[in-house]
Amino acid sequence: MGIWDHVQLGFQAVFLADPVFSVFGIGVSIVLVMVAGGFVLGIVVGATPGLAGPMAMAISLPILISVFGYAADALLPVLGFLIGIMKGATVGGAVPAILFNTPGTPDAYMTTFDGFPMAQRDEAKRALKIAHMSSAAGDTFSDVVLVLCAPFLAIMVERYLDLPEKAALLLLSLAFIASVIGGSVGKGLISMGLGLLAAMIATGEDFYPRLTMGIPSLAGGIPLAAAILGVLIVGEVFKSLEDLRSDRGARVSLNMGGGKAHSLWPELPTLLPHVLRSSVIGTVIGALPGVGSTLAATLGYSVAKRNHARTGRTPAFGEGAGEGVAATEAANSSVSGSNLIPVLSLGIPGNAAAVFLILAMESIGGFNPGPSVFALPPTGINPEMVIAFGLFTAMFVANAINWTLGGVFMRQVGVMARVPKGILLPIVLLLTLTAIYVQEAKMMAVWITLAFGLLGYVMRRVGMSPLPFVIAFILGGKLEETTRQAFAATGGDPWLLFSSPVAFAFTSLAVLVVVWNVRGRA
Amino acid sequence: MKRLHSDQWLGLVVLVLALVLLFVWIPLDTGTGLIEQVRRRVLIGDALAPSVAACVLILGAVLTWLKPAARTSRLTAANLRWMLALVVMFTLSLGLMRYLGPLVAAVLTDTGYRPLRDTVPWKYIGYAVGGTVMIAGLSRMSQPRPIWRLVLIGAVATMAIALAYDLPFDTLLLPPNGDL
Repeated sequence: MGIWDHVQLGFQAVFLADPVFSVFGIGVSIVLVMVAGGFVLGIVVGATPGLAGPMAMAISLPILISVFGYAADALLPVLGFLIGIMKGATVGGAVPAILFNTPGTPDAYMTTFDGFPMAQRDEAKRALKIAHMSSAAGDTFSDVVLVLCAPFLAIMVERYLDLPEKAALLLLSLAFIASVIGGSVGKGLISMGLGLLAAMIATGEDFYPRLTMGIPSLAGGIPLAAAILGVLIVGEVFKSLEDLRSDRGARVSLNMGGGKAHSLWPELPTLLPHVLRSSVIGTVIGALPGVGSTLAATLGYSVAKRNHARTGRTPAFGEGAGEGVAATEAANSSVSGSNLIPVLSLGIPGNAAAVFLILAMESIGGFNPGPSVFALPPTGINPEMVIAFGLFTAMFVANAINWTLGGVFMRQVGVMARVPKGILLPIVLLLTLTAIYVQEAKMMAVWITLAFGLLGYVMRRVGMSPLPFVIAFILGGKLEETTRQAFAATGGDPWLLFSSPVAFAFTSLAVLVVVWNVRGRA
Repeated sequence: MKRLHSDQWLGLVVLVLALVLLFVWIPLDTGTGLIEQVRRRVLIGDALAPSVAACVLILGAVLTWLKPAARTSRLTAANLRWMLALVVMFTLSLGLMRYLGPLVAAVLTDTGYRPLRDTVPWKYIGYAVGGTVMIAGLSRMSQPRPIWRLVLIGAVATMAIALAYDLPFDTLLLPPNGDL
């Protein structure tokens, strides 16, 4: 069967599988329901300062696995829900940024610069519409690039890269992530080293579970979800709760989307160039592992500001320019599709949201993100490719929901900014710990999560990003396994990372990335 | 003598830990060495990957030492007190969660907790009390609010979470019932 057959099967898996109810005699599949549910939850979460898409993805995942189980047909509903959250949170983050000058998610920070002055001028509805249109446009653009690039890149990797090259590519990815995330290359490397070390505990090929110090409860290794949720979610909760102690009395005044109904059509010629430019910037940045949506938003805004200043239009950026909102929202939303390019084609997660998608794939099984996903078998179908095209379809379904209903939901969730963080975060914490427990059924897993939470807290306090830790933890086992296989396949060649021009180039680039960033930054 | 930058302290601590890892922990706690020879085939041993992790830590520590960040980020005494408070709070709340149900069952019944762990109200006792203490305690630690209000919110939220897991899923066990 050819690629087009796989596309059709993926499409059918989203639209026709397991209808849960029918509308006018047409069955609505479980995947569509889950994508819509995830999208609405994502908007609510994005609109709640202190929460973020990855947090909701982390808490939802164990619940979703409890509902759908570990069968292969669980993948699309679960991934559809997580993708819905990812996309919804990006849109929702703009709501409190515009209405209350409080970004719901870090990447919506630049939206406050122009969105809030617009709300103060009684143009909140206009600002929300611009944010919604730009976000949906950026997201859709990014998804189109993903669909076009991921299969192509995966086929190239599968065709031209052998085991030593794949090991060198993993090394390059880790070096890149450790070097570009956070404010210091040294701290990025420490974070990565700790992640690699955690990945090595109780793994390996020998009968003895290495690095367990004889502790029986470590003999099964560190539970993936416990370490990731601990460092990424629990650590953030610990830090945010402490920050609240010095942030007393901060209250937001409720200004629920003032201003009269406003059509965006007359403004489109001035907004579209900014939306398009920022979409390209966000998509390119999103495709690089480890470089997140906050940088995309900052770059998109800065470039748009320079261009806007040249035209001399008023209001200027920072004083309530709709173009500023458009540039930021298009840039941060266009990261979400392209950050799946390294996930699907190489199996390398680029940001926290991608980490939870990979965690879902690994927990459920039946889908190993990487070059093999897009390999055409000589006969029959490749189920992984069907799921990949189903995933693409689910993303476009989420975009359709965003274009049609996203704006309506956005205007309803402003009230979430009033939820007190001091109460919400402990509830999120208990929910996270309970989610871990129902998955592992051991109190030890809860303690391990809390221990990694403390590690995540310390990392944040010393200015070290926890993301290299998490990505190294996920990729550590794969790196070791690929290197072992490459070592065996090359007959024990100690120079396997330099054994071919491509492997040599990747390894040299890994060194260069670190050196370049060390020289360029403090 | 010039005072060390906080990043230099961090680099120093990580360097010491990485050296202990490389020269003490890995040699003592792995089954095979860096390279193994099995039937004339040379294979990578279990100690190689952790050693690479230790080398990455050493490199990171040295770079952090040599190029400390311009903006100071460090653990303060207040941060350490906060961590201690968290440890105390979790020891208390998770201790209640783990042991309260079995304790009450031991006092009030002849059977003990295990046969009752999936029956109402026993299965909720530890989770409800421990969860309430966790939510109320952490909220109180972060912002001053009336404790009775926080206990009420904590109890309602804990029971809502318990029911959200327990009612739709027969096979799931709330903490700590999977351990008992």
